Amino acid sequence: MGLDPSLLLDTFGVMAFRLDDDLRVREAQGTQGPPFMGEDIRETMPVLYGLEDALAAPDVDLAMPFIQTGRDNDEPMALRVRRDPATGDLWVLCRDVSEESAIHRELVQKHNSLSLAQAALVKARDAAQEADRTKTAFLANVSHELRTPLHVIIGGAAILSRTGAKRLTPDEVPGYADDIHESGVLLLQLVDDLIDLSRSETGDLTIYEEPCDLRAIVSGIVSLSRELPEARGTRIAATLPDGPVPMLADARRIKQVLLNLLSNAVKAVAGRTDAAILFEIDPDGPVLTVSDNGPGMTAAELEIARKPFGQPRAAVRAKGAGLGLAIVHRLVDLHGGRVEIETAPNEGLTARIVFAAPSRPPVPTG
Amino acid sequence: MSAKTYKIVVLGDFGVGKTSLIRRYVLDEFSEVYRATIGVHLYKHTDALAATALPVNLVVWDIEGAPLPSEQTRRYIVGASGALIVGDATRADPFSAMWEAADMFEDVLPGRPLCLALNKSDLGTEAHPETVNRMTRRYDCPAFGTSALTGDGVTPAFRALARSILSLGL
Ligand SMILES: Nc1nc2c(ncn2[C@@H]2O[C@H](COP(=O)(O)OP(=O)(O)OP(=O)(O)O)[C@@H](O)[C@H]2O)c(=O)[nH]1
Ligand SMILES: [Mg+2]
Repeated sequence: MGLDPSLLLDTFGVMAFRLDDDLRVREAQGTQGPPFMGEDIRETMPVLYGLEDALAAPDVDLAMPFIQTGRDNDEPMALRVRRDPATGDLWVLCRDVSEESAIHRELVQKHNSLSLAQAALVKARDAAQEADRTKTAFLANVSHELRTPLHVIIGGAAILSRTGAKRLTPDEVPGYADDIHESGVLLLQLVDDLIDLSRSETGDLTIYEEPCDLRAIVSGIVSLSRELPEARGTRIAATLPDGPVPMLADARRIKQVLLNLLSNAVKAVAGRTDAAILFEIDPDGPVLTVSDNGPGMTAAELEIARKPFGQPRAAVRAKGAGLGLAIVHRLVDLHGGRVEIETAPNEGLTARIVFAAPSRPPVPTG
Repeated sequence: MSAKTYKIVVLGDFGVGKTSLIRRYVLDEFSEVYRATIGVHLYKHTDALAATALPVNLVVWDIEGAPLPSEQTRRYIVGASGALIVGDATRADPFSAMWEAADMFEDVLPGRPLCLALNKSDLGTEAHPETVNRMTRRYDCPAFGTSALTGDGVTPAFRALARSILSLGL
């Protein structure tokens, strides 16, 4: 029986290497290529790095199917490391397993791709259901918000048009007229916000950037806020740089952002004896900050507040529309900036608007 | 004398982006096409951890993913100096498979460093800070938000692992 072992090795596509204690190749069968005689086998089979202790064991028996050693090598091998029981020599045996691996690959690929696709579908379905729920809640909230001022208007108009004995005295009229006017302004604001929101949803909300002075915008809003009847009793302060803070922005939209933040802050601090709101500009960035010392929010409440009409608390909810923060986010997005909100229960709330840095050089005017 | 070469294994569920992270780190490339890894794929990489430090030689083992690591995975782990445990942050539950993999690694090689990667951060992932904190405390390891697509966090995650390995003198 003189079957040449190399014939066997060739037939099954096997390579065999006998190693010395330094893991250098002392004998190679079934191969003409690397690793060559005397070479450290780990250099051509990096799979053996880290296994030095295991390889030194007298009873080493390592088996690894489907090893691909190179980064783009798609010819998997099965590897086996054993000692020859008779001589104690360490042998590394490699077998080409491209065929088995191809079948295995097809199975795994199909299984994994299917599972991933299924998971993606489930996720998409959940997202759609969630969007549906949000839309329904949104509609319910919109209706509610519209009804309140409408009731004031309708009721007020009915009272104003009374005749006969129930007719209002001339000094009662302005009070009702004011209520109607105030509700009308509120409604208009609400409808404007709704239009902005729906435009931003369809990608039709646009801004017109021009060179402007952030400092001037903020100080304008600060003066205005001190006139607001709702803000009576609130200390409104501003820390502004001495000189102008030039930037490219849609000034009208930045004012809208500020008014929304102001309105939220005013509602948050209402009723406090030490109510305070602070506006700050850091010209580097630039960064605009509006902070209040109101009750703050938990992370979960903030999550709700970011959504259109998401008032976190019934107490806040009663005080008006909750489109503000959603619109602030979208308008700042359009300016290439971002909104960072820092808040915690009893810690107040700080909204930081970080405009695209570095501030884009304004187009020279004139 | 050549410097020591360290074996790093990358573990996690299938499709979370193990191959993508490694290929971003080693080859600086990315593919949108999912090609499942079969068995193990090896990548040799030499990385300078800092401008002044000596480069460190790594063999990164890209291991076939599964929600539950198999007995085969256990054999692949043997001899590793550290593990990168990868989860897909966009999934409803990125963590179960990460706990499983981390537990197996710790079981095979107690005391060896781990690093966590919450991958696909580019897809605007939901944050799960509490669970991440719990894992980093449990395994005393760092965690990174990563994106193989943009490259964010990828090299820092691998380097953090390599640094832990060097500092333990493994
Ligand atoms: N958007 C995005 N996609 C990614 C990212 N990383 C991976 N992917 C995609 O996710 C899919 C799976 O990525 P792989 O790297 O093959 O995942 P794996 O963990 O190696 O999977 P197995 O080999 O089966 O265990 C591929 O389609 C990738 O393009 C990422 O950071 N962002
Ligand atoms: Mg893979």
